[in-house]
Amino acid sequence: MSGVALQARDVSRWAGGKTLVEAASLALRSGEVLGIIGPNGAGKSTLVRMLAGLDRPDRGEITLLGRPLMQWPAHERARRLGYLPQHFTPHWDYRVTELLRLGLDRTPQGMAGLSALAAQHGLEPLLERRWSSLSGGERGRSLAAAVLAPSPGVILADEPAAALDIGQAAALMALLKGRAAMGAAVAVVVHDLNLAFRWCDRIAAMGGGRIRGEGVPSAMSAPGVLEDIFGIEFERLHAADGSAVVLAVRRPQG
Amino acid sequence: MTWLLPPLGLLAGLLLGAETLSPAEAWSVLRDPGQPLAQLIWQWRMPRVLAAGCVGALLALGGVVFQGVFRNPLAEPYLLGSAGGAAMGATVALLVALPVPSSLALPALAFAGAWGATWLVLALARLAGPASIAALLLAGVAVAAVLGAMRSFLMLALSDETVSLQAVLSWALGGVQTPAWPQLALLAGLTGAALLLCLALARGLDLLGLGEAVAESFGLQVRRFVALAVLAGAFVVAVSVVWGGLVGFVGLMAPHLARWQVGALHAPLMPRAAAIGATLAMLCDGAARAVLPPAEIPLGLVTALIGAPFFLLILAREARRR
Repeated sequence: MSGVALQARDVSRWAGGKTLVEAASLALRSGEVLGIIGPNGAGKSTLVRMLAGLDRPDRGEITLLGRPLMQWPAHERARRLGYLPQHFTPHWDYRVTELLRLGLDRTPQGMAGLSALAAQHGLEPLLERRWSSLSGGERGRSLAAAVLAPSPGVILADEPAAALDIGQAAALMALLKGRAAMGAAVAVVVHDLNLAFRWCDRIAAMGGGRIRGEGVPSAMSAPGVLEDIFGIEFERLHAADGSAVVLAVRRPQG
Repeated sequence: MTWLLPPLGLLAGLLLGAETLSPAEAWSVLRDPGQPLAQLIWQWRMPRVLAAGCVGALLALGGVVFQGVFRNPLAEPYLLGSAGGAAMGATVALLVALPVPSSLALPALAFAGAWGATWLVLALARLAGPASIAALLLAGVAVAAVLGAMRSFLMLALSDETVSLQAVLSWALGGVQTPAWPQLALLAGLTGAALLLCLALARGLDLLGLGEAVAESFGLQVRRFVALAVLAGAFVVAVSVVWGGLVGFVGLMAPHLARWQVGALHAPLMPRAAAIGATLAMLCDGAARAVLPPAEIPLGLVTALIGAPFFLLILAREARRR
């Protein structure tokens, strides 16, 4: 269960004289959901874009299944690695079925899986609908279905819940968790700390372009860690199952 | 439905002209192909109308490729400056004494001009940030204006008795000449090749419509693909400009009309857009010949007259969508 699917070693990226990510090392293991948390500008999206192969690290190395990410042929990588972007607006008013076809194109069996894919994500009634006519939740589900169509072994999601309501966000996390249970290695950037603590197996916290801490949710929600990263104080409540619920309370003095 | 349009356009193009045929005359032409009027139709109008159809199809394909690659619903060869670049190259080939035969220099320079102008517009638009619809159009307008001024200067400075100003000017304003049959066969072959070339880009354009990040993660090598698509688009535009001069807005209208019918996927879109573009060009060319007989008005004038309001319509729709 703990095979490393995607690994970043000491990756850094600069842009315009500014360090976006500095010496970040991270391992995504099969069967595990890794949450990435941190304040805005911490470098989370930049790191995820590098992990997805969209941006090249200026220093350091990323390997997918032991092979350098940039050495994978584009179509092979596309089959093994799914990327859910932070913002997604197609430039043309595609139908849901067209979006799913584009996602399925990456699989060897191609269009044969279309009806199964639609059923799996509850999209059958939406297949002929155009993107502009979908609600936010329907858009999220359609995009996730297209991205996850080839059942990629690595799933990278950059704040996929940003535009979703609380129920839709939980459903999306459950979907990612289910993929991990099927053996995928998942990394997801999450703004809502409690969503991260509830659904992730491990948490990596970023601040100022660096990874400032990594561990299981109970360790990361312990006093001191979050204060250090976000620069504010947190209060901890305890849910019935013993897990921590955190509340941001106020700025520290000074 | 779409496939019925080009035959109708062809028919209208054959009837329209300095002498517009009545249905009775058309019937007599069909019954007696030996009469002088029939000769006129088959020898003169037929190749001319077919050439206009090819030019329209090429403009439509250029529009589909440029709209897809720039992900901009207002992109088209004329507004983007690529047609202006091709015209600049062609003008140089026509007016400047070059060491190569003009049958070679003309298409080569038209292609180089279209390609160079498109990249120039793209580079200028990128200065204004990624994916700005307005920036791309403004850059296109600016580049087209500079190229147009340079072309006019070349025409005034270099035209002499051998190349009349009149001929170059009427071509620059957009107008299809009546080709000889072998020429027409070449144009038709190139149009077919252009369609196949564009169809090869269809899947990549579909993916690019998802945005660069998702396209890349779905396996499209975005930078390489964009470079390839611009090259293909420049080829298509260059062929259309060599045969039809500067004809605006067909490349804008045809893709949209086709998209309303079949949706956004590019493979079904391309042949339909080409059919609609061909029809538009044949109709407009017919009108250009029929309005002021015995004179012809430039084809580009007719297409601009109906295309510019269409442009505003799309612009308004986009403004509402965003």
